[in-house]
Amino acid sequence: MADAKKPRAPFAPWDRRELPGLFSVEESARRVGAYKWCELKLFEALGGWIATVPELDVKMRLGAHCYKHAWHAELWHKRLPELREMNPDRLTVAPNEHMVCFIEALTEPEAPELTIEKLVGVYRVFIPHFISAYTFHLNNTSDITDAPTMRSLRFILQDEFEDWRDGEMLIQSLIETPAEVDRAAAHQARLEKILLAAGGITGSGTIGFSTPEHEGAIA
Amino acid sequence: MRKFFPVEDLARDERFNQITMNDRMADQRTVITTDSRPSRAANRIVPSRGDASDAARGLMHGIFVGEIQALEGAGRTCWDFTTGEEAPFELKLDMARQCWDEARHVEISVKLSDWMGSEIGEYAENTVLFQAACSNDPVLRLAGVNRALEGLAIDVFTTMKEFGEVAGDQYLEFAEDWMLADEVTHVKMGSDWLRKITEDDPERRKKALDFQSVVDKLFSYGGTRSESQESPIGLARRFRELAGFDDQEIDVIAKLSLAALEERKAAVLEAQAAHN
Ligand SMILES: [Fe+2]
Ligand SMILES: [Fe+2]
Repeated sequence: MADAKKPRAPFAPWDRRELPGLFSVEESARRVGAYKWCELKLFEALGGWIATVPELDVKMRLGAHCYKHAWHAELWHKRLPELREMNPDRLTVAPNEHMVCFIEALTEPEAPELTIEKLVGVYRVFIPHFISAYTFHLNNTSDITDAPTMRSLRFILQDEFEDWRDGEMLIQSLIETPAEVDRAAAHQARLEKILLAAGGITGSGTIGFSTPEHEGAIA
Repeated sequence: MRKFFPVEDLARDERFNQITMNDRMADQRTVITTDSRPSRAANRIVPSRGDASDAARGLMHGIFVGEIQALEGAGRTCWDFTTGEEAPFELKLDMARQCWDEARHVEISVKLSDWMGSEIGEYAENTVLFQAACSNDPVLRLAGVNRALEGLAIDVFTTMKEFGEVAGDQYLEFAEDWMLADEVTHVKMGSDWLRKITEDDPERRKKALDFQSVVDKLFSYGGTRSESQESPIGLARRFRELAGFDDQEIDVIAKLSLAALEERKAAVLEAQAAHN
């Protein structure tokens, strides 16, 4: 540039970042706390299951994925104080009781014959719900004020997509009979009904729709 | 899923055969020999040993199943304890990281076993590593698994790396060197957490260190690992220092291992005398 004194606009013509975003500082912190709680529960479960699955390739995948979700929990743990929550444990909670029930149902299978159920819970139910919650956050927060959260969301989403694909391929390779297709679908439906009652991983409004209480949502 | 998972229930496919430490030690085909022929004058796994490739394959299979159990043990520590109350969040993050590392070690071990010409399940699986990971105190797990057993892993990988170096096997040397780097990190995790958690609890620290020495002794039994060339596996002083062991701690393990070697040699001689 020839003239060093010539004023330039602070936002370049191609920079479409905007104010405000959908979430207040408090709402962001609440969501981030729920994310941390969910990632924590997920990495604990994956770690516990490693000893219970006989399939060697699944055992190793669970080990690798366990770390990724622990890292996500760590990113959210570090973000909380930046969102004015100096006691991160206070917000590291389930958004509601249904979500607690969901984790209980998710982690119920233990027997070595139940690898399909274990994987379905994680890769066909929990991780798709992470992907939608994170995508909703990414698309609705202010890319000026909340850029640090967005940076973490992008890294994490990359992991979630890769892990979802890994898990889905494992499930497809384990399902060998129509009866097993039914087993997988039945377990998925059971868990989805609980998440329906929970309203998603951060509770009602996880992806912008408030979820009414459904009678008998939990089968 | 239960909290605390019994070693008998470890999930394996049909290729695996599990044995306990007692089964292993009752096996007369001991790793220590008093055979004075030149090929077996030293037991250290070196290429010049007559049965070097078979011994290395057996050791590699032992590493492979050990890595599986290390993976399972670290995973259980993520699950068995309540976050914050029974185990700090950051400790669990370390255990999750260890899961990833151990999963890669299993992958490396499978590739190496293949490279060395052995198959999964060709040798028995001793489940003692996971047993050390069953304690109901996370600090004891870190002392028994991360400090004692992964300390042993440092010794084993150093021996195997040297084996690869001398034999001109760059594939083996490369893989062992990378696993060694991870294991030093895991032992250091054990050392750091042990110090941190038991800072104001000398009784708990003593209990953990006692447990570590029980596990150290168990693995020194038979003199499998010591600074003598008569032991198949050496003691890797330098890497142990990197991992947070002080000189005195290394000296104790060195002494213990040598005593175990002498004990085992005497027992073998006695058994041979009785046989003749
Ligand atoms: Fe390892
Ligand atoms: Fe390790």
